[in-house]
Amino acid sequence: MRPIIILTIVGLLSASLLAVVDDLTREPIAEAKKQMERKAIAQIFPFTIGELKTVETEKTTFFEASDEAGELKGIAVKTHTNLGYSGLIEILLGVAPESHKILDYKVTYHIETPGLGDKIDKDKYKSQYRGRTLEDTNWNVRKDGGEIDELTAATISSRAVNDAVVRGLEFIKEQYPKQTEE
Amino acid sequence: MNEALNILTRGFVRENPVTKMLLGLCPVLAVTSSAYNGLGMGIATTFVLLGSNVVISLAAKAIPNTVRIPSFILVIATFVTIVDLLIKAYSPELNQALGIFIPLIVVNCMILGRAEAFASRNGLWYSIIDAIGMGLGFTFALLLLSAFREVLGAGTIFNIPLVGEGASTILVFALPPGAFAGLGLIIAGLNALEKKKGGN
Repeated sequence: MRPIIILTIVGLLSASLLAVVDDLTREPIAEAKKQMERKAIAQIFPFTIGELKTVETEKTTFFEASDEAGELKGIAVKTHTNLGYSGLIEILLGVAPESHKILDYKVTYHIETPGLGDKIDKDKYKSQYRGRTLEDTNWNVRKDGGEIDELTAATISSRAVNDAVVRGLEFIKEQYPKQTEE
Repeated sequence: MNEALNILTRGFVRENPVTKMLLGLCPVLAVTSSAYNGLGMGIATTFVLLGSNVVISLAAKAIPNTVRIPSFILVIATFVTIVDLLIKAYSPELNQALGIFIPLIVVNCMILGRAEAFASRNGLWYSIIDAIGMGLGFTFALLLLSAFREVLGAGTIFNIPLVGEGASTILVFALPPGAFAGLGLIIAGLNALEKKKGGN
């Protein structure tokens, strides 16, 4: 009987301690998550963000970033792909409003091979995406006849980034239809 | 005091959990791809070890032998979860880098090993010293291996580049095989050093 009682007491004590810590850290964790998101957004836009508006839709989340003068300068969208070498890759994609030209992207989650696939978040690779739009680019890697230079020894990761980027651009197109188009 | 010093240095050198006892090698091999990760893992593990050693040295007499191991694991898991939550709240970058390996500290056999072999049989004071010694030894070994791998595999240390962009690095050291090779080399080196010292 005694072992059961003791083990129960140990379990109860640890559960109550965890409840307290969970309660104390819940807000800081949510705050830290937001901070990380803000940091990523600040990194993909070449201007200082004055105001940031979050638009949540059924499919994804958009961030509308205005500069300090209050003018809408960029739209960021959360996008992802399951085609990574190790599965899920999450990307935050930033485009210019209206033209929908890519400003930059940031990989917010990945488990690609260190030293090979993880270069998808390096500037050397990312820079070739800037200025491209959904329509003006053949979104395949060069190996498959497209326009994107794949990473050496990480073609699968490169294809995955293309997949995520195209998905993101399509999200944007749907949410922010171009007014100049007929 | 002498005994305390003895316990402290034992974890660091003579019975270093990584290079001598070869305990807790899963995180050692997995997270040491960069010095920052290695250091973070070392500190997180040290904190868990300190917490579990303190609680277990105090509670060991009250815990019946039959439920000893489950109770110890519960205590360890509690501290691991606390560390996990704290890292998530106050160091999201480290959380992103270490990911699943923080919750997996629970199954680091070094911690249960210290609880079973030391804390449950010794007083509070010695258990604290043992945790600090073992924790620092673990951290030191992780730092050594991760620095070695980062310098050779990525050409950086704590993310500070040592060689110019585009310089070739020995990629294999950034990958899992490099962890095994690196650890093997470090253990061999330390053993050789010890032998030389003992021979003189």
